[in-house]
Amino acid sequence: MNLADGVQLVSFAVLAAMMLGAALGVVLLANIVYSAFLLGLVFVSMSGMYILLNAGFVAAAQVLIYVGAVNVLILFGIMLVNKREDFAPVKNVWLGRAATGAVCLGLFALLGTMILATPWVISIAPPAGDDAMVVIGKHFFSDFLLPFELASVLLLMAMIGAIVLARRDLLPDELADQDGREPPVALKLPERPRELISGKK
Amino acid sequence: MQLEYFLLVAAALFCIGIYGLVTSRNAIRVLMSIELLLNSVNLNLMAFSNYLDPQGIRGQVFAVFVISIAAAEAAVGLAIVLAIYRNRDTVDMEQFNLLKW
Amino acid sequence: MDFANLAAQLNTGVILPEGIVLVTLMVVLVGDLITGRASSSRWSPYVGIAGLLAAIVALYFQWTTTTNPISFLGAFNGDALSIVFRGIVALSCAITLLITARYVEQSGTALPEFIVILLTATLGGMFLSGANELVMIFVSLETLSISSYLLTGYMKRDPRSNEASLKYLLIGAASSAIFLYGVSLVYGLSGGETRLSAITTSIVANNGEQSLGVVVALVFVIAGIAFKIAAVPFHQWTPDVYEGSPTPVVAFLSVGSKAAGFALAVRLLVSAFPMVSEQWRFVLTALAILSMVLGNVVALAQTSMKRMLAYSSIAQAGFVMIGLIIGTDAGYASMVFYLLVYLFMNLGGFACVILFTLRTGTDEITEYSGLYQKDPLLTLCLSICLLSLGGIPPLAGFFAKIYLFWAGWQSGAYTLVLLGLVTSVISIYYYIRVVKMMVVKEPEEMSDAVKNYPEIDWKLPGMRPLQVGLVVCLVATSLAGILSNPLFTLANNSVLRTPLLTPATIAPPASGTALLDQPSIHSSNSTLGG
Repeated sequence: MNLADGVQLVSFAVLAAMMLGAALGVVLLANIVYSAFLLGLVFVSMSGMYILLNAGFVAAAQVLIYVGAVNVLILFGIMLVNKREDFAPVKNVWLGRAATGAVCLGLFALLGTMILATPWVISIAPPAGDDAMVVIGKHFFSDFLLPFELASVLLLMAMIGAIVLARRDLLPDELADQDGREPPVALKLPERPRELISGKK
Repeated sequence: MQLEYFLLVAAALFCIGIYGLVTSRNAIRVLMSIELLLNSVNLNLMAFSNYLDPQGIRGQVFAVFVISIAAAEAAVGLAIVLAIYRNRDTVDMEQFNLLKW
Repeated sequence: MDFANLAAQLNTGVILPEGIVLVTLMVVLVGDLITGRASSSRWSPYVGIAGLLAAIVALYFQWTTTTNPISFLGAFNGDALSIVFRGIVALSCAITLLITARYVEQSGTALPEFIVILLTATLGGMFLSGANELVMIFVSLETLSISSYLLTGYMKRDPRSNEASLKYLLIGAASSAIFLYGVSLVYGLSGGETRLSAITTSIVANNGEQSLGVVVALVFVIAGIAFKIAAVPFHQWTPDVYEGSPTPVVAFLSVGSKAAGFALAVRLLVSAFPMVSEQWRFVLTALAILSMVLGNVVALAQTSMKRMLAYSSIAQAGFVMIGLIIGTDAGYASMVFYLLVYLFMNLGGFACVILFTLRTGTDEITEYSGLYQKDPLLTLCLSICLLSLGGIPPLAGFFAKIYLFWAGWQSGAYTLVLLGLVTSVISIYYYIRVVKMMVVKEPEEMSDAVKNYPEIDWKLPGMRPLQVGLVVCLVATSLAGILSNPLFTLANNSVLRTPLLTPATIAPPASGTALLDQPSIHSSNSTLGG
């Protein structure tokens, strides 16, 4: 093993440990703010992994989009929903968690066996390396042109939809003052709500 | 450095994500678990792209698509969480039981 | 590769129908900004319907003159099968638009944005029906899913709508992540291929016929598909989402989104997983049995009309899966035919539910009692659609079910067919219960909602389109049974003219007899139809 391989292996081990530890923190810690910051750590170590995999462009995109946009969005979400609430305890919660943990370990064992048993066909061609960005660009405008265009429609619609859902509506009486019409009814389903099951207890 | 190392890490991350998805009670934490799942898929794609398809790197292109769509999904998800928080004043998944059988 | 060369290779004409839908979407969006809310909610549904009908016309011309269906360098395949499925998705959206306007108006939300998101969902569904490449499948699937989440939560002041949309989003995003993990394994197993046509050969070349990896990938992919078509045990979201979301959205989800899911299932399973076809047939058989049994039995216990239709749609998905499992020409054709008929009868049923909700503000089944005295048209239409869903003879649903079961029997899937017959009988019970409630009750047994039934007024804004939608579905459901030959021909041709599905006849399914009977299938269709 030469020096370069050793460095790669060590940095892989460090990144993997950091990533898995942070991911466990995301799902296990009680405080949601810690979870959100640890999620950022997962994203950053993931981008380190990408660099190890000769993919500088995607590593940069990962930092920009995941850390810069998604993580910040989640933090904003947490702040907008900033009620310190202690969830009412549910009976036998540990039992469910233990069962889920066992299922997840089983799933990991299955996936691990599958990964080790499959004869992957390793290609011997040299990696694209720094030309990757050019290759990706060519893909975007040749064989991946249609998904690329459709993704733009998807993003437009997600933007419109998110605004429609998250915007605070004008109150009905304000609307009535504006254009002098009758105030519209509340923005609800026309169906009557059913009797709640919990209400009958 | 072998392909299997990366795939195993991705599989571990996937299982952690599934665990978080099932056990979390805070709706925002469920969204975070989904991001973990998508990241493990991305790691898979990137590893395959580097070891099996180093010239075509379709996996990298796929990962870019997954990243951009995950961002859209997160934005929509948070908008929905905000809307429900306004109405119900909680983000506890156990409380969302208006619709049962 | 220079530009002119590239443009020639893209073969963009194939996605003309989708282009029309996209332009319509932009027209509604920008027109709403320019003309303002009050006028745009008057014209936008008509623009949407016109655009969708234009797209269907474009699809018709492609049907008659397809030469080279592969476009965008293999990303999209506009073969005959995809044309039929795209037509189903577009038509379901057009009918949904007809019955939407009044409902959204009455709930006080903005109509143009609703139409824009619905059209985006349609666009996603249409692209999904023809997607021929893993990235394209993922992006179009997400376009369909994300717009469905938004539509579900559109009535944002209503906690039920919020909750339905949150559940749908979380389960949907998780299932698409699992689907994606399976897809990434497929990418790896095939050694870096994303085009469906190339995947199989390279998987077989790399790993031999079967391996654990292929099976794991298959299971993950099926989980994603089963979520989309709402098959048990991936159905948990269905009743909640159907009850909590606006009813027109439910109508679209139960037909358009489901049809797109079936198109994805056919294309992905048949073209990418032929080496494990026994395995996926086995998994799908289990899903179909569970869906038929659980959907039909739980539907018996429902008190809400929307919830009952939700479980009924789960059961219908189970029936349609029979056609996919047996995998003969007749099987695929019967599946397409069933979906075509299901489109009209289910949308007709939902149109009636919407109309009743608008007039009385409830969707409890007991509140329908005695409706015949007050509104014969609504009663007639709802009865016809429900009886057709149950499979009562002269109606379209009967012939669709017979064709499906007949195809299943021919290829030796006896258990599935017998189970299908038994569960159909169960389903007739709960459909008839509603019909009986509406028709037979004496005037004094009328429910309060029906006693206070408002005067029938088709002049209100948005009521005319609803009436048109209702009548179209009614006519189609009652006539498609007797005059079903064009639909039979369409379904058969869509399968025969699709190169993807032609090897299906060569690979023997369960018994060899189906092959010998191939020529007689088409002749007996015409006797059935005529």
